[in-house]
Amino acid sequence: MTTTEVTPRSAGTASALTRTHSLRQVLQVQSFQILLVLLVIFLIFAAMAPEVFPTWGNVRQIIQNVSILGVLGIGMTFVIVTSGIDLSVGSNLVFSGVVAAKVMQSMGDTGWGTAFVGIIVSVSCGLGWGLLNGVLIAKAKVPPLIVTLGTLGGALGLAQVITGGVDIREVPAVLQDTIGYGNVPGTTLPTISLIAMVLIVIFGIVLHRTRFGLYTFAIGSNEESARRVGVKVDRQLISIYALSGALAGVAGILSLAQYGTTAIAGQSATNLNVIAAVVIGGTSLFGGVGTIFGTVVGLFIPAVLQNGFVIVGVQPFWQQVAVGAVLVAAVYVDQRRRAAAARGHSAKDDGRTRLFGRRSN
Amino acid sequence: MKLTPKITLLAAGVLAVSSLSACAGGNASTGTSGSAQPKLAFIQGVAGDEFYVSMQCGIDAAAKSAGATINTQGPAKFDPTLQKPIVDSVVASKPDAILIAPTDVAAMQAPLKAAAAAGIKVVLVDTTVQDPSFAASSIASDNKGGGLEAFKAIKNLNPNGGKVLVISTDPGVSTADARVAGFEEGAKADPAFQYLGVQYSHNDPAEAAKLVSAALAKDPDIVGVFAANTFAAEGTATGIRQAGKQDQVKIVGFDAGPAQVQQLKDGVVQALIAQEPASIGTQGVEQALKAIKGESTQKDIQTGFKQITADNISGEGAQYVYKSSC
Repeated sequence: MTTTEVTPRSAGTASALTRTHSLRQVLQVQSFQILLVLLVIFLIFAAMAPEVFPTWGNVRQIIQNVSILGVLGIGMTFVIVTSGIDLSVGSNLVFSGVVAAKVMQSMGDTGWGTAFVGIIVSVSCGLGWGLLNGVLIAKAKVPPLIVTLGTLGGALGLAQVITGGVDIREVPAVLQDTIGYGNVPGTTLPTISLIAMVLIVIFGIVLHRTRFGLYTFAIGSNEESARRVGVKVDRQLISIYALSGALAGVAGILSLAQYGTTAIAGQSATNLNVIAAVVIGGTSLFGGVGTIFGTVVGLFIPAVLQNGFVIVGVQPFWQQVAVGAVLVAAVYVDQRRRAAAARGHSAKDDGRTRLFGRRSN
Repeated sequence: MKLTPKITLLAAGVLAVSSLSACAGGNASTGTSGSAQPKLAFIQGVAGDEFYVSMQCGIDAAAKSAGATINTQGPAKFDPTLQKPIVDSVVASKPDAILIAPTDVAAMQAPLKAAAAAGIKVVLVDTTVQDPSFAASSIASDNKGGGLEAFKAIKNLNPNGGKVLVISTDPGVSTADARVAGFEEGAKADPAFQYLGVQYSHNDPAEAAKLVSAALAKDPDIVGVFAANTFAAEGTATGIRQAGKQDQVKIVGFDAGPAQVQQLKDGVVQALIAQEPASIGTQGVEQALKAIKGESTQKDIQTGFKQITADNISGEGAQYVYKSSC
């Protein structure tokens, strides 16, 4: 009883214990349950607009539009697994993009050399803000909500100071043509999506298969215990916020490549959209539980809903209502699990006995 | 009944989608009542803004009389990162033509060009992109003409002439800059008026109030101020009231949303320069339908302005007030 309860919930730690997952255990993981929800949504829209919705052309553009959020979602999953939060990702993205655009603009050239410098600058800027977040949280012991709320305003404000609030629209053509709107050679898969997928796989492995990931879960489960068994909690936290910042820097350059503008006024709700996706994907806001895969599925739910609504001609306002409903349901499920675990048995077993009970009647 | 987590999640998802598909059903039935109808889509700069709602009213009316269907979508904010996914989804639904107010000249260039390349006719309304050569037509207010109209309004209020000032929003906003240029041209051409230049309020009424107070300290005989947007008008009025010169200085505002009309009725501003969003929408539909039929279209169309004052607000000026619903 106890093992089945622990196994699916902390995929990272559990995978080290049991390498064999039965189908039942897989179904028990919230990210797979949410995948089923996504499939249901997809099938409903596919039935409503069979000639438009379930086509590769349409799915391709959904994937393309989710890519930048996917990169941000990786870092956010790590942060939320430690029971922290990073509100600064959107502003960090804008700041990194602005500085990179400014540097590339001053270089004047529009070739790969300039683009490469831009990429380095953007990631470094993101990393810088991430380190600042991490040090303030781990060393100065300021709560993550406050630290990242501060850097949210700070990064955006400085981006406006640098540009005077006017967007920079001189982005090297190679960035836009290859990364922003280009496809992987020989396919119709957007390059930007491939970049996001590679990062997702790499950091999925880091979170679920390495010591770094294990420590991340350990801190989220119980920071004090982690400290006592010898995990360098401060260093780990700084690394995680730095990772989230650096990925925001990557997203910054991707955004420049995709939109061809710094879009300073944009991205104001990006942080909340990413947090919602992470939570819908089964990562617990209380820490210690979560998967990168769940986050990816969590990102697709609002994207598919919006796309479907536009295609069938529903007011876009409804999308927010639907995403809100799924978000609250996801957290409700998480809470029930915790309550069940506290009582000493899993919610799943609880449910199954009731289901069987009803059937026997 | 207690719910298992899986069932709860599934139920939430199914509920969310099915409730929406119910709404969609209502929309779709009006949308697909005839297969030969031209299928139009309108993408607003921001959903729920009176300017775009008025434009939507014009588009809906024109589309209805032409027997075309219209699917209106818009981002929650004037933000290219929010508008692009909507554009992509609309393009995926393969309408015959898209009317769109692009939120950024650079960010919307590539997606709209791709739409045009896919055979969808694109009509740009109000705002534009860096290179609009792919568009069937671009329809916008003649902002320079609007600035000139604002000067004429000040002239009507002060027939004897005097010193005039402009309070704008931020430098680099193309529409606002064009309005200021038009105003400047008019003021300089008229020997009775002395143009004092433009000040930028950065969308902050307090800043505008400070600027106007300072300007009145330097030139106590200012007779008119052109406030390029609502916030500038509010701050300008405050500054003038602080100096006790509300009888001497006339304020002309821009746009005619409910907030601006309220300012006019309250006497904060003495005249408004209204754009004609409904006319932009109507002409947009005309051009889109021409493009679908393969007829030649007019590449650039500029629409006019209307002066609204306390005298005509309840009469002929009323139809130029922006609508919050059709």
